[in-house]
Amino acid sequence: MLTYVGRRILAVVPVLFGVTLAVFSMLFLVPGDPVKIMLAEFVTTPDQIAQMRAQLHLDEPVIEQYGRFVANALRGDLGVSIRSRRPVAAEIAENIGSTGLLALASMMVAIGLGVPLGLLAALGRNSWLDVAAMVVALLGVAMPSFWLGFLLIFVFSLHLGWLPATGGGDLPHLVMPAVALGMIAAAIIARLTRSSMLEVLGQDYVRTARAKGLGGASVIVRHALRNALIPVVTVFGLQFGNLLAGAVIVETVFSRPGLGRLIVGGILAKDFPLVQGTVLFVAAAYVLINVVVDVAYAYVDPRIRIG
Amino acid sequence: MRPVPTWKWATLALVVLAVAAAGVPSIRPAGAQGGGTLVVGLDQEPPTLDPHASPSAVTYQIIASVTENLLYRGPDGKLVPWLAESWTVARDGRSVTFKLRRDVKFHDGTPFNADAVKFNFDRIVDPKFKAGGSRAALGSYAGSKVLDEFTLQVLFETPYSPFLNSVASGVLSLVSPKAVRESGDAVHTRPVGTGPFMMKDYVAKDHATMVRFPGYARKAPWSDRTGPARLETVVWKFIPEPGTRVTTLESGETQGIYLVPAQSLPRLEKDPGFRVEKLPWPGVPRIWLLNVTKPPLDDVRVRRAVNFAVDKDAFLATVYRGTGLKAFAPLTAVMLDDPALRQAYPFDPEKAKALLGEAGWAPGADGIRAKAGQRLEIVLNAIEYGGGADPTAQLIQSSLRDVGIDVKIKAQARPPWYEDNYRCATHGPVMFLRSIDPDGLWSLFHSSQVGANFNWSCVKNAKLDGLLADGRREADPAKRRAIYLAAEKLALDEALTVPLVDELAVWAFRAPVQGVKYNFNAYPVLSDATIRR
Repeated sequence: MLTYVGRRILAVVPVLFGVTLAVFSMLFLVPGDPVKIMLAEFVTTPDQIAQMRAQLHLDEPVIEQYGRFVANALRGDLGVSIRSRRPVAAEIAENIGSTGLLALASMMVAIGLGVPLGLLAALGRNSWLDVAAMVVALLGVAMPSFWLGFLLIFVFSLHLGWLPATGGGDLPHLVMPAVALGMIAAAIIARLTRSSMLEVLGQDYVRTARAKGLGGASVIVRHALRNALIPVVTVFGLQFGNLLAGAVIVETVFSRPGLGRLIVGGILAKDFPLVQGTVLFVAAAYVLINVVVDVAYAYVDPRIRIG
Repeated sequence: MRPVPTWKWATLALVVLAVAAAGVPSIRPAGAQGGGTLVVGLDQEPPTLDPHASPSAVTYQIIASVTENLLYRGPDGKLVPWLAESWTVARDGRSVTFKLRRDVKFHDGTPFNADAVKFNFDRIVDPKFKAGGSRAALGSYAGSKVLDEFTLQVLFETPYSPFLNSVASGVLSLVSPKAVRESGDAVHTRPVGTGPFMMKDYVAKDHATMVRFPGYARKAPWSDRTGPARLETVVWKFIPEPGTRVTTLESGETQGIYLVPAQSLPRLEKDPGFRVEKLPWPGVPRIWLLNVTKPPLDDVRVRRAVNFAVDKDAFLATVYRGTGLKAFAPLTAVMLDDPALRQAYPFDPEKAKALLGEAGWAPGADGIRAKAGQRLEIVLNAIEYGGGADPTAQLIQSSLRDVGIDVKIKAQARPPWYEDNYRCATHGPVMFLRSIDPDGLWSLFHSSQVGANFNWSCVKNAKLDGLLADGRREADPAKRRAIYLAAEKLALDEALTVPLVDELAVWAFRAPVQGVKYNFNAYPVLSDATIRR
């Protein structure tokens, strides 16, 4: 197990290297002089432009700049935002809680909705229950999160007045964004649970359990579902990346603080250090979460580390 | 295969929960809404609330009744005393002397005096400080002299007449020197001023709260009563998505919003439960700057033809629908209005065609004019916002096609858009500018501003330069008006631009919200505002 974990962690290094390279080259891939672009909103003197160039070390050779970028990032120094003039790391720290909470809540929606739907569909295979559950899943995949978001606001804020449409914080503020964001993952998990469950139900050990005289519910929950959920763990990790991407949209629709809005604001304000730092952070988080998921996967299914 | 034991699943779930709990700090709920709380939804979050550091209008929308200025300018455009009781401009125009009020303290108790004002202005020009719009507002500032505790003389290298209007604008509003020295970065979220409201807290990407300053014992220049603000609290919520913003107003989550989208405007205007308020922006309207250096726009006849050919009424009817007025000149009507400007270019496609013919562009087979085998093509530089190019660009395209000009829209991201403008690479962009003094024309047309500021018409005209320089020197308001009227007439005669739409600042409030007033900049001042029960 330890070797496996070690191997997985080692494999992360080249990936993160690639990420830093991609994020770093952003500055050079955009046409035009980055300093002029960043300061376009401000009235500047040539002195200030030179000062800014020096501050961002843009007057040094590219290799040195890259080395500095990586070394600083390793120390947790992601630079200073041009717009807010605060350290990017502090901006991220301020926003991560809100996005983390949203991601977690939407994952709960995804699992809480996806697994039972998939289970029902598999057990009632080809029945009306199966069709209904899969139509719901299809709708979930097809509905863009911003549209679902507006729909929820329209019904629950404007007409029923049950939930606030905007803002971060406590549970009432969390419900609609979590549903809007978790719906796609819920649909994917439902479809996956269904097919995986159907496969497991045909396995010998399920037949054996039934032959031993175990009741239907016990076979399904203790023998079948537990194994059927293993692929769902992997999807969980992959979907987490989608949740971060979806947060960009959902956080804007619901005016929730978070990393998504931080990135969008940074892009609109041409705030290169902020965008670079935040994208690097999100990419690294995505990679690490997938390592954790892989390890968890190996933990629940021993075949992974043997193979 | 052996089923996964329950304890393994349970352990995994626990680990996930523990990681999640560690990563999620507790988040405070938004402030409870009491009787005296006004919640206003804004379209964006300010980059900073420091009046001297901000390049953005949203900062001053929030702090218009938090930090105060030496002078005040209401919607009528007249300058009146505020923190200064009186002012005198020196005969050579190179200094202004202010007599300050003696009864003012900052919210943190710091006394307001000539030293405090000097500290503020010196802070803006400090090379170590990264100023926003404030630096340009001080022009050729050469320092301040404290004549006595409540008398300050502000000096300039060269006469700088726009200063009086600037000194009444949010960018030169005054913050507590003590708070700046001692609180470090807090000035970005909690500037300490002297106004009827003081900043209380700031939650990034969510809201900013300001509360009544109980010690406010004066009469604000926009008010007819003395004493503190009527509302207890004002919460500014940042709601970037327009549809969501309107919904919060309709559901009562907010009682006011800024920037009502055009498609929701008729609904809110018809409903007696809401009140829509529209204010003209001072500055440069939405305008197409024509690059006069790039053929075929180097020919003034073609530029004039473009001005006659663009159907501005179509803009107002389709895109703006009640959120804008027809623009006539490079300054909005609230800045300078004159019949001569309004009559310059009526919509007249026939005249446009005649001018193009005169310039040698004959109708071609495909409906596009040509001269010596060359098609009449113009490249309009437009920002791609994600949902396609600016709709004004498409309207220009269809208007000009009717007279035989083929407009290519170069839709691109903001950074290369700027770069093309600085390099005079296209036939010009559509843009707008907020400015409280007609001197805003300097950054648009002065020859020193090509490649540096907003002179994206790339014009170098000695006569225009002369007028703009005169406007900076002349102190007499009537004479200044004549100078800028002459400059605008010249700009129109040379057809340096196509003025399109005077956009309006559109606010909407629930009907019980009363007494919201606005300063010349179209920012709300809220000390008289109330919410009727």
